[in-house]
Amino acid sequence: MTWFHVRWGGVLLAGLAIVFLGMRHYQRELRAISPLQLREEAPSGTIRVRGLVLPGTLFPGPGPNEARFELEGDGSKISVHYKGGDPENLRELKTLVVIGRWDPGSKLFEAREIGVVPNFGFVTAAYLAGIVPVGLFLFWMEHRVAFLYREIRDQKVYEPGGDEG
Amino acid sequence: MIKQMRRYEGWFGVAAGLCIVSGLYFGLVGSPADYYQGEVVRIMYVHVPLAYTAMLAYGALFSCSLWYLWKRDLIVDNMCQAAAGIGAFFTAVALITGSIWAKPTWNTWWAWDARLVSFAILLLILIGYLMLRTFTEEKERAARYAAVLAIVGGIDLPIIKFSVEWWRTLHQPLSISTRGLSIAKPMGIPLVFMIVGFSFLFFYMLAVRTQMLYLTHLLEAKKGRLLGEVHL
Amino acid sequence: MSFFNVIRWITWKDLISEFRNRENFSSMLFFALIVVLIFSFSFSMDQTSGREQIPGIIWVAFTFTGMIGLGKSFAAELHNDCLDSLQFSPAQKGAVFIGKFLANLLFLLFVELLLFPMFVLLFNLEVLEKLPTILVIFLGGSVGLSAVGTLFSAMTVQIRAREVMLPILLLPLAVPLIIGGVEATAGVLRGDPFLLYAHWIRLLFAFDVIFLVVSFWAFEWILDT
Repeated sequence: MTWFHVRWGGVLLAGLAIVFLGMRHYQRELRAISPLQLREEAPSGTIRVRGLVLPGTLFPGPGPNEARFELEGDGSKISVHYKGGDPENLRELKTLVVIGRWDPGSKLFEAREIGVVPNFGFVTAAYLAGIVPVGLFLFWMEHRVAFLYREIRDQKVYEPGGDEG
Repeated sequence: MIKQMRRYEGWFGVAAGLCIVSGLYFGLVGSPADYYQGEVVRIMYVHVPLAYTAMLAYGALFSCSLWYLWKRDLIVDNMCQAAAGIGAFFTAVALITGSIWAKPTWNTWWAWDARLVSFAILLLILIGYLMLRTFTEEKERAARYAAVLAIVGGIDLPIIKFSVEWWRTLHQPLSISTRGLSIAKPMGIPLVFMIVGFSFLFFYMLAVRTQMLYLTHLLEAKKGRLLGEVHL
Repeated sequence: MSFFNVIRWITWKDLISEFRNRENFSSMLFFALIVVLIFSFSFSMDQTSGREQIPGIIWVAFTFTGMIGLGKSFAAELHNDCLDSLQFSPAQKGAVFIGKFLANLLFLLFVELLLFPMFVLLFNLEVLEKLPTILVIFLGGSVGLSAVGTLFSAMTVQIRAREVMLPILLLPLAVPLIIGGVEATAGVLRGDPFLLYAHWIRLLFAFDVIFLVVSFWAFEWILDT
């Protein structure tokens, strides 16, 4: 019985660790901020900004995979200069995430990557809906089996060697 | 056989845990988001293994049913019942995760896609199987009837899949493409890990559930005898 | 008793007993008409979208009617321990199955042939020149339904909740028959060239052959003592 508790305690701890690590990963590398937050906070390093490509502002840039446009979100807008891979996802009136660096001096966002709007809510829901019920089901079965073995031992019902399992 | 299950099940459990945790790592952190679907494609790492395992469960049910009709071993019958219960559970969860995946991808909770419909029918067959076992009075007869149902169902499932596929190619709206993602190499590795991990998990759960059913029947039978009556 | 005699005897017994009191037959017919009427209210029959549902309505009526007939097929054996007599008789179980199957099939076909003119009238279908094809489609669907239905009728007659368990077990398994029947009938009624819906008819007959064999084999396990 105690091995059962140790095992499932371990599973619970592992689950909590995964959740914690997941949340930290999200905060550091996956979260996208709005243009308003970008202007206010002006963080350095690689940032992800999410907004709507304003119509009439999208112009293919001087180079082959370049473009310039304005991104709007939370009532504020920023100018983006994109230079990176194939910009097929880049269209006006589309909400997307740009990844790059912010230059507070020239107030220009140098983007090197464009991403589709992430639906982390759905991903989290799916993983919870997929894994948690399975875990609960398995836990319930193991608990019952442990209980049954104990019952059989207590009632001296199981005759080892006689009744073959 | 029960003793062997008890001895070796732990290995399956550990293998399952390792594969699933690495699969989750590679899937969630180590692989890129899909170009068209974005982050939502990561649901594939939990939905597809569940679906595969559900089909594995039915395969186990089918083989064990044949085995039971051949050998009439009651432990094999317990395995059948265990596989059916686990299969129904995994099928239902696969359908739910599939639905959660469908909403952001196709903007609908349910689509009359061939695979989804076939899966729903699989769930109905498994639930029918479990109901049949519940409603049949004698244990031996229940085992026999259930085995026949599992075998007939198993032969029917490929036919059902074909007929639903043909039906959907007739009526499918052009916008929804179910194979909308090409599995790039970095996505294939976590997927394989998760599928293998879930398969190990299935065998582990099968061992646990078979023991649960066997011990329950053993306890019931012995209790009956101890009290002076004979239940069967 | 030889194999074929057993078959002949059992089929004849079922048909005669039904002919004598006609209770199954009238309930099946009446039920089918009610189903058709209710479906007609659900869809507007004047517009094309309503007319597209007609093959579906026809096959739903056939399927549900078939359920009733199949359910009663073995339920009738419960009285006077007839079922036990069948189980303990020295007759080969396979022959019992084929006898029951043929009786159910003839019965179902008879009801379908009575219902079909009614459908033609109600829905204003033009089918005279396509009649042979339609009959082939009905036969294909009915054989499969009767084969699996006879097997499961024997199974469910001895368990609790028998009336509801037969549809629950049978309908998911009969999905290829329903899809095939509906699509083939739709093709015929639309006036499509035969090649366009021929594969559905092939599906029906493949299902029939496979499940006639499987049910024949499995029946032995159902009536096992």
